[in-house]
Order: sequence, then C-alpha cells, then structure tokens
Amino acid sequence: MTLLQALAFFLREALVSIRRSFKISLLAVVTIAVSLFVGGIFLLLTRNLNRIVMEWRGEARVVVYLAQDAPEGEAERLAGEIRRLAWVSEVEEITSGEAERRFTEAFPSLGGLFSDWEGPTLPSSLEVAYDAEAVDPRELSAWQGELARDPAVALVDDDREWLRQIERLVALLRGIGLLLGAVLLSAAVFTIASVVRLTVYLYREEIAVLRLVGATEFFIRGPFLVEGLLQGLLGSLLAAAGLFLSFRLIASQALPSIFGSVLFDRFLSPGDLLLVGVVGSLAGLLGSILSLRRDDGSLFN
Amino acid sequence: MIQFFSVSRRYTARRVALDRVSFEIPRGQFVFLRGPSGAGKTTLLKLIYCDEVPDEGRILVNGRNVAALPKGKIPYLRRTIGVVFQDFHLIQRKTIFENVSYLPRILGANAREQRRLAYRTLSQVGLAHRMSSFPAELSGGEQQRVAIARAIINEPEILLADEPTGNLDPSLSREIVQLFVDINRRGTTVLVATHDPTIIPRSGNRVLVLEHGRLVRDLILRGADEPRGLRGDRQVPRVDDTLPLGRNP
Repeated sequence: MTLLQALAFFLREALVSIRRSFKISLLAVVTIAVSLFVGGIFLLLTRNLNRIVMEWRGEARVVVYLAQDAPEGEAERLAGEIRRLAWVSEVEEITSGEAERRFTEAFPSLGGLFSDWEGPTLPSSLEVAYDAEAVDPRELSAWQGELARDPAVALVDDDREWLRQIERLVALLRGIGLLLGAVLLSAAVFTIASVVRLTVYLYREEIAVLRLVGATEFFIRGPFLVEGLLQGLLGSLLAAAGLFLSFRLIASQALPSIFGSVLFDRFLSPGDLLLVGVVGSLAGLLGSILSLRRDDGSLFN
Repeated sequence: MIQFFSVSRRYTARRVALDRVSFEIPRGQFVFLRGPSGAGKTTLLKLIYCDEVPDEGRILVNGRNVAALPKGKIPYLRRTIGVVFQDFHLIQRKTIFENVSYLPRILGANAREQRRLAYRTLSQVGLAHRMSSFPAELSGGEQQRVAIARAIINEPEILLADEPTGNLDPSLSREIVQLFVDINRRGTTVLVATHDPTIIPRSGNRVLVLEHGRLVRDLILRGADEPRGLRGDRQVPRVDDTLPLGRNP
C-alpha cells in the first residue's frame, strides 16, 4: 500500500468512525472549539492592543506644560533650546486657547466647562516630537528631569510612561490568555484522548484481526491519529467561525466607543488563524497519541 | 518449517504453560496438537504467531527466530501465517467479503483484486455465494469457514487452528477438518490444536500430545484402531509412541 493509499484509507476510516460515534466526537470537537475560542479572544485583544501600542509608540511625544505665571517669551526660549537637541524632530507651541479648542473638539459635551472661567483655562505647552531610535532612554529621562527644574515649567509629561502601563496590561492579558487557553486545551486533549480511547475500545476486535493478519502498527493506528487530528481541525474551524462572528458582532456594536475601536479594530491575521488551526490539530493528534499509548499491541484477550 | 528448541513459557513461578518443549514440523506437514484444557496448546500457537514470547528456548519459523523478532517485523511474519480460532473472531458489522479481505487491503490490492481474491478463497470453502452476507446471517460452521478463508486468502505457508471445531457439532467438525486437509494438500503446513480426539483422522497424521505444559507424545497414527488409543484418556497410544520427542518420523 502506498503512502497516499494509506492516507486515503486512514481518512475514510476516521470519517466512518466519527460518523459512527457522532455524539462523543461532537463533544470532543466542541470542547476543543471552546478552548480555542477563549484563547482566540485573548489573542484578538492582545493583537489589537499591541498594534495600537506600536502606533502610539511611533507618535510618542513629550509635552512640556508651562507654569501659569511664566513670563512672556519663556515659551519661545524653551522651544529654541529644545529644537537645538539633535534627536528632536519637531516642537509645536500650543497656546492656552489652542489647548481649550482641542479639548472642546475631543469632548464636545464638556465644552461649556470653560464658559464661566476667567483668564486662561488650560496651560500653554510645548509638544516635542522626537526620534526614539536616536536617543538613549536614560538621556531622555535625564533631560526631562532637567527641564522639570526650570522655573517656567509646571510639568513634563512623557507618553512613554502610560505606554509602558499599556504594555504591562497587554503582557498580563497575554499571560492570562495563555494560561486559560492551556488549561482549556489540556481539557480538550483529555477529552479527545477519551473519545479516541473509546473508539479504540469499540474497534478492539477489528484491531485484533488486523494485527492477526499482519497489519503494521502504522496501518492500525493511522485512522485513530487522523480521527484525533480531524476532531482538532474541526474544533479549530468552529472556534475560528465563532471568533469571526463574535468579532463582527462586538465590532458593529462597540466601534463607536474608544473601547471598541481599540480592542476590536482588526480581526486575526491569516497567520493567527493558521496558528489556531495548527494548535487545534496538534491538540487532537496529541489526544490520539496519548490514548494509543495504552494499547499494548496484543491480540484477542 | 516450525522448530521449537527447549521452549518454556511461564506466566508465574507456579503457572508454567510450556516446559522445555522441543519439536520440529517440516514444511507441508499436517499435525494435530492434542491435550486437555490448560495443557499449553494455545500458548504454543501464540508463540508461533508472536502473540507471546518464550521465557526460554528458541523458536524458528521458516528459519527465522521469532522469539528475537523485532516488534516491527512481526506483522510481516504474520502475513505468512493464517490463524483460525474456536470463536471465529469475525467482525459482525462487516460483510463476509470485507471480513476475508483484510490482508489484501493491507497489502494494497485494489477493490477489483480484493474481490477476485475473496471470491476465489470463499469458493474454496464453499461460500462464494455469501460474499455480501453478514456473519450473523451464517451458521456456526459457515462462520468458521469464513474465518478459514480469511486465514488462507494470502496462501500462507503455515495455518494454525486453535480448537477450530470447539463450537461445532460433529458433522460440521468433520467438514472443517476436511477443509484443513484440502488446504494442507496444497502445500500449507497445518497445525490444529484440539482437546477433542474424535476430530483426528484415523491414520496418517502426526499428533503432538501436551500435558501440563510438557510434550509427552510425538506420534504418527498408523492403524484403524489408533484413534481409540487417543480417545480414551486412560489409555496410552499403542503405536509409535516410543518415538523420541522432536524427531520427524
């Protein structure tokens, strides 16, 4: 028998077996689908968060807020000094009026907040864009400390700090996802192992006949391995379909909010979907291998 | 050719299935292995088709030391040995054709070739017309004939039968033994284990007698009255039972 013939035989036998014990096979498929779905949701969240962090990292700024009582001309002086730094790409002066306009634009419902206010509402500032590749982070921090000590400066705000916090959140999410996915996947592997073991039991007489007439272990075990693989693959497909439908549903309802636009902006890439398929298939295969380890190769008992 | 050289098989220290058994069965010989239940007949057959391994001694099957055969080589040995059991071991959800076609399918025969081989072999056992039936639709004797067809479909060098008539009435038993005789005439070495002396033809056959795991007789039946000697447990066979064990007369 050629390898191609053998694979066709394995597939045929595996499909017959799945059809024969449909309900327990379905249980195995659903178990693996649920675990991959949960893992997939975390993957989706971390992928989107990562992408956002990368985008924001590229746009990271240092914002220098000027003291309210800073003498006139201090903004220009500071801007001039900052522009002289080699790694600074752009310095934009934001006046108090401009800051108020931006705030009102971003939060229209809070626009009336400044109507009864007398004098400048929001402090003037300098937005400093820089080339993160060209500057050592320690040098950047030292420079910010020096700047903060300037009497004309009220506060130096660095985007890197909250980006670091988001990165920590992404890492935490990834960790939880991995842990939860691993636990659920272990349960799925155990379920598939049990299903395949049950199938082996159902077929024990035929397996013994096959061994008796001279079938190799490859020939005997092949259909069971393919069965586990198929269950894993079907579970992956189900999980991918569930993820896509959930994504569409959440994205369509949540996109207008910042939460939706950040966390559910893009679906998983083809590479990620392939990863889900591979993990599911391997989990199924592992389940089969584990169940067949108990088979000692004996004939009729 | 089957050769046993001082073969022992112990399940526990006190439960000895075979004790230093030696004999030689030349190619093409028809041999009955006789003994009461628990004498070690099944163990002896299992050792030949590698379902068990001996604790001591050497077993050569067609020159190959099967006791030392790597696990991966066992299937290839089994393809040259047909085995028939008392309880048939047919797969009930498979047709007769499917039941007998396992080996051709393993060997990669296409559907047409499988059908041709199955038809030819089932014709030999008189069941070609039942190819599409299921085992449950056949009588016990017919089921045993299907099991024999499955065992001989690849024209094995050796055919082993473990109490093949245990579930059959005397007339069906005679039919089955006659089938073995026919198969043997085509050159296959046949070894039939039985506790029932009535199925052993009256003359011309070699009989190995096992008792408590030891080979106690190796004889050739040569007279019309010989089965009587074998039939009665208290009587000792009167002809050729003085032959040294392990020799081929």
